[in-house]
Amino acid sequence: MAGIVVVAMLFIVSGRLGSVEWATLLKAVLHTTYRLALAYSLALVLGVSIALLVGWSPFTDALFPVFDILQNVPSFALIPLFIYFFGYTDQMIILFAVSSIVWPILFAILTAIKNAHRDLNDAASIFGANGLRRISFYLAPLSFPAILTGSIVGIAMGWESVIGAEIIANAGGFGAFIKDASVSGISHAAIAGMLAILLIVFVVNRLVWAPLLSESSSRYAE
Amino acid sequence: MPNDPSAVALVLSRVSAIFADEEARGVLALEDISFSVPSGAFVSIIGPSGAGKSTLMRVILGLMPHTSGTIIRKFSRPAMVFQNYALFPWLTALENVAFGLRMKRVPRRERERIAREKLKEVGLDHLEKHYPNALSGGQRQRVGLARALAISPDLLIMDEPFSNLDTITAEALKADLLKIWRTYGMTILMVNHLIPDAVELSDHVIIMKARPGRIKENVSIDLPRPRDIRSAAFFDRVDALTTTIRSVS
Repeated sequence: MAGIVVVAMLFIVSGRLGSVEWATLLKAVLHTTYRLALAYSLALVLGVSIALLVGWSPFTDALFPVFDILQNVPSFALIPLFIYFFGYTDQMIILFAVSSIVWPILFAILTAIKNAHRDLNDAASIFGANGLRRISFYLAPLSFPAILTGSIVGIAMGWESVIGAEIIANAGGFGAFIKDASVSGISHAAIAGMLAILLIVFVVNRLVWAPLLSESSSRYAE
Repeated sequence: MPNDPSAVALVLSRVSAIFADEEARGVLALEDISFSVPSGAFVSIIGPSGAGKSTLMRVILGLMPHTSGTIIRKFSRPAMVFQNYALFPWLTALENVAFGLRMKRVPRRERERIAREKLKEVGLDHLEKHYPNALSGGQRQRVGLARALAISPDLLIMDEPFSNLDTITAEALKADLLKIWRTYGMTILMVNHLIPDAVELSDHVIIMKARPGRIKENVSIDLPRPRDIRSAAFFDRVDALTTTIRSVS
């Protein structure tokens, strides 16, 4: 944190960021953040639902390799497909990002369910967590730490996907902004933008993920 | 104690079970297991590791299929206590104990009342808001026992409940368990590896041998209760069982 602040201060103090259009940059960064937030929310709902249903069904072992192959399809290879269906729109960027964020969440949960201690599974069965109630009273709470770690990895990939798609499709947001900036040679603007994104990542991590992680690691520890 | 000698809780007749190991070859875990457990009896199962004792418990509970033979289950509310406690880490002690009742849709107030009562019975009512990670091994096992008692089980299966506990904790829990058994009169099936424990607690001791898991001997312990664990008769039983165990391990 201190590092980011110091670097930012240095830039500002030395007047090197004077030429940056702050309003445009801020709008671009917020647009990207908004796309990522929406994509993450969708991916979370989708990933958690699919993983819990598959983990609950008897087909986990059979479906695991299928998901593994799907996950290994490089997501940027699919971007023409998304552009074909959705054009150069917000939906395209968001859905494309969903397609990359969903995998780490899905896999983290499925792995947690697969690796759950057999005795814990047995206890859930013996004490009546069967049928669909097994999902809400056993599999979902069991998956909580995995949902956290999957989300953290997923969001990291999400930044890449959203910004990458914005660069490729020139579809607004921070990606398009740095593309323009580098084309017109204003690299300071790109650097300022990166600092802004680092700041967002840092704040979200500190305020959201770090407290949740420490909570889950202490409670779920053996 | 509801101990009608004609009533049985469980009958196994020539039960075998195969399960797949990592290379998916079938491994015969249990072979030709036959025994019956009288209603309200305390039965211990001892034997070397690999004798399929835990597998047998899972087969009895229907958590794992058996490949041949017949199981007659004359119980309706089985509960289990695990060697490594198997408490739900996301629930407090009270919520863990109330879990079975919650699954039976018992209203919150009622199930918390019962859960508190059971926690009190195992001496942990002051720790009801603690999560399992804040409890010691002995306390966790007591929560596990209370969780089992909360559903008023007619069959209580215990898989090496004392093996992760130090001697003093285990002795205290054993005394409480005997008291609970006298009060409730449920059938208890306990996997154990300590012969003196088995002799002290049980009406019958089933000795298993390994690879494949078979019954070597089924011994009745007819010493009067409460048992004097320093009497000559007690040592005789322990001696005899020790000899049998040596011959299978």
